[in-house]
Amino acid sequence: MYVAAKGGEAAIQASEALFSALKGKPTRELVTAIQDTLPYLVDRVMGEASLYAPELASLAIAQSGGDLYEAVLLLRAYRSTQPRLAYAVPVAPESLLTVRRISAAFKDIPGGQVLGPSLDYSHRILNTEILDSEPHPVPERASHREAPTDDSGDQAHPPTPSPDGDGAVAASASYPLVAEWQRRAGLLAATPEHAPREPADIPDVTRDPALFPAPREHRLQALARADTGGVLALGYASMRGYGLIHPTVNELRLAHAEIEVKHPVTGVTFSAGRARVSQAEVVTTGDKTGLSLGFAATLGWNEVKLIAAATLDIEMNQSEPHPAHTEEFVMYHTEPVEASGFCIHFKLPHYVTFASSLDNLRKVISTFYSSDQDNETSADRAELEPITQRTP
Amino acid sequence: MSQLENLASPRADYAYAFLDPFAKRELRRRMLKAIAIPGYQVPYASRELPIARGWGTGGLQVTLSLVGPESIVKVIDQGADDSVNAANLRRFITRMSGASTTTDTLQATILQSRHRIPEEVMRDGQALVLQVPDPEPLRAVQSDSSKAHQMHADTDYSQMWLVLYEQLVRYKQYLQGASYPSLVNGRYLISPSPIPRWDTPKLHQAAHLTILSAGREKRMYAVPPYTDVYPLEFSDVPFQVEDQRGWIDTVTGALRGARGKFMDEIPQPDGTSRYGISDTGYLEKLIAQMRAASGADAAQNQVGATYYDDEGNFYKHGYLKPPVRPD
Repeated sequence: MYVAAKGGEAAIQASEALFSALKGKPTRELVTAIQDTLPYLVDRVMGEASLYAPELASLAIAQSGGDLYEAVLLLRAYRSTQPRLAYAVPVAPESLLTVRRISAAFKDIPGGQVLGPSLDYSHRILNTEILDSEPHPVPERASHREAPTDDSGDQAHPPTPSPDGDGAVAASASYPLVAEWQRRAGLLAATPEHAPREPADIPDVTRDPALFPAPREHRLQALARADTGGVLALGYASMRGYGLIHPTVNELRLAHAEIEVKHPVTGVTFSAGRARVSQAEVVTTGDKTGLSLGFAATLGWNEVKLIAAATLDIEMNQSEPHPAHTEEFVMYHTEPVEASGFCIHFKLPHYVTFASSLDNLRKVISTFYSSDQDNETSADRAELEPITQRTP
Repeated sequence: MSQLENLASPRADYAYAFLDPFAKRELRRRMLKAIAIPGYQVPYASRELPIARGWGTGGLQVTLSLVGPESIVKVIDQGADDSVNAANLRRFITRMSGASTTTDTLQATILQSRHRIPEEVMRDGQALVLQVPDPEPLRAVQSDSSKAHQMHADTDYSQMWLVLYEQLVRYKQYLQGASYPSLVNGRYLISPSPIPRWDTPKLHQAAHLTILSAGREKRMYAVPPYTDVYPLEFSDVPFQVEDQRGWIDTVTGALRGARGKFMDEIPQPDGTSRYGISDTGYLEKLIAQMRAASGADAAQNQVGATYYDDEGNFYKHGYLKPPVRPD
C-alpha cells in the first residue's frame, strides 16, 4: 500500500523488486547491445547528463528500463562522484573530424555539403520482415574503431566514408565554416576577441547560481545539457509563430572531437580520446547590421535538439521575446533533471499541506453558504471565484 | 479455381498511391472546396506519411490523391530536381503510383514544389502543388488561430498593413522575404508558401491550377486558374522582387534566356560568390539547346516562354512597378 511508505525499507525493496521483475535483469550483454545498437539514445542521455561515457549511459538506460529521465539522473548522479582533474584544450569547429555537415542557407558551400549518416531522406516504412526472420545472436560489433586511444567504446558510428574500391573518394576529415565566408562577405559580425582566460575562470552553470541575464557560457552550457523534448517544444513554438525570427540552418555538423588535455606535470598536450559531438548554427535576417547568429553544441549527436536550441539562442537575444523564449524561462524549464524531478515530486504525500488548504476551503464555504446565511442565494454561489492556492 | 478467388483483387501490401481510398476522396473533396473559395484555408485530416512531418507531407498528400499511372510528375526543391529531398519525394511518388517523371516543366502534369515556381510559363491543365510550412499569413500578428480565423472572415487585414507600414518607417522598404502575403481574388489573404518574391507574381491570372497544402497544420488552399493575386503593397510604395541584376549563371551566362532568372548564390572558398540558375530543369534545357546549336546533339525539348525576359521584365506588363523608396 502507498501509505505503507511509512513502513519504510521493506516497502521500498518490494517496490523495486516488482519494477525489476517486470522488465528483466540488466546484464553485461544488454549494456553492450544498447551501446552498439542504440547510439542515438545513448547520445541523448549523455548530452542531457553532460557526461561523455557511452558505456555508463548504456548501463543507465538498461538499469532504468528505458525511462530516460531516470537514466539521465543516474548519469548525473554518477557525474557528481567524479573529481574534475583537468580542463581540455578548447575544440575549434574547423578541426572537428566531421562526418556530416549540411547548410540549408546555400545550395553548395566551400568544402561541399556532406550528407553523412542520416535517416532524413529514408521512407519511414516499418520493416516488418525483420519480425519474421530467424532469431539471431547478439548483433556484431561495428567494425570501425577509429579512435584507438578511446577505450570508452566509441564505435557505433563509422567515421567518414572510406574508399570502397569503386572510385569513391574519402570525404575530407575537416571543413571550413560557412559563417567564415559570411564574415568575409560582410554579412556577419566578426567573432569577438577574447583575452586568454584560465579554464577554471569560465563560468560553469553546473556550479554557479543562476543569475539573469546569464553569462553566455551559462546559456550555451544550459542548452547543451537541456532536455531534448523541452528545447524542442519551446523552439518549435518559436518556429511555428510565437517567435520573432525565422531561422535558417546555416551549418549543422555531426563530428568526432579530439579531446586534448595538457599533462598537469609535464605540460605536454596529449589526446585523451575522441567524443561524438554535434553543433548547429542558425541565422536570421531582420537586423540592420547583418545576420544574427544562434549557436548550440552538445555531447553526442542530437540534431533536433541543436536546431531548436540554436533558434532559441537567437530568440533569447531579441529585445522583447515571447515570454516562453526569455532566457530565464528557457533555461529553467528545459533542465531535464530538475523539471522531471519536480514534476514527479507531486507523487509524494502532500496530505499535511492539503489539509491546511482544505481547512480554508471549508471556512469559506461555511462563511458564504451555512444555513444561518440565508440571505445568500445560489446565484451568488455560482459567481464565487474559484479558490486557488499553491501549496509548496 | 473457385469463383470468389477470381473476383478478388490480388493481394497488395499498400493501397495504390499509398493513401487509402477514403483518404484520397476526402482530399479531393477538400481540393474542390479550396478551388471554389480561392485563398480560403480548408481544413483536412492530413494523414501521417512515411516522410518526416514538415518535409512536404501536405503537398505529397495532394499529389498522391491526384496522381495516376498516366501522370507525369516533376518534383523540385528550391528549384532543383536533383536535390536529395526532391529526389526522395519523386522516388516515393513513382514507387507508389507507377507515374512517370520528368524534369521538364512543360511536360509535367503534376508539379510538386518546395519554395519555387519554375521559370517557364505553366499552361492550362497543369497542377502546381506547393508545400506549405505555415498556411496562416496572419500568424505573426495573431498567434491565436481562432482569432485569425475571425479576421479572415471579416477581411480584417489592418494589422498586416500596419506591419508593412512599420517596415517602411524603420527600414525604408518592405522587409518580408519569401512567403510574401498576397490577396487572392480580392478576398482572402494567403501565404503563397515560402516562394521568393520573384515567384509571387506568377500566381496572378495563371493558366494553371495551384494547390497549397500544409501537412502539419492540416490546411490547404488554392489559386484556381485565371485568378487575381496581388501582393500587399501601398499604392505609392510598390512591391519589389529580389534584385539580382548582375548575377549571371556561370555555365550558360552568354545564352539568350539565361539572364533575368532567379539565381542561387554559391559561396566560394576565396570569399567570393558564383551564381547558378535555380531552376535546374530550365537550365538543363538551356544547356541542351546550347549543345544542339553547336551541332553536338540533336535538339532536345524546346525551351518554353518564360515569366521574365533577359532584362527581368515580367510577362504581364505593368503588373510589377519600378521601385520607389519613401523619404
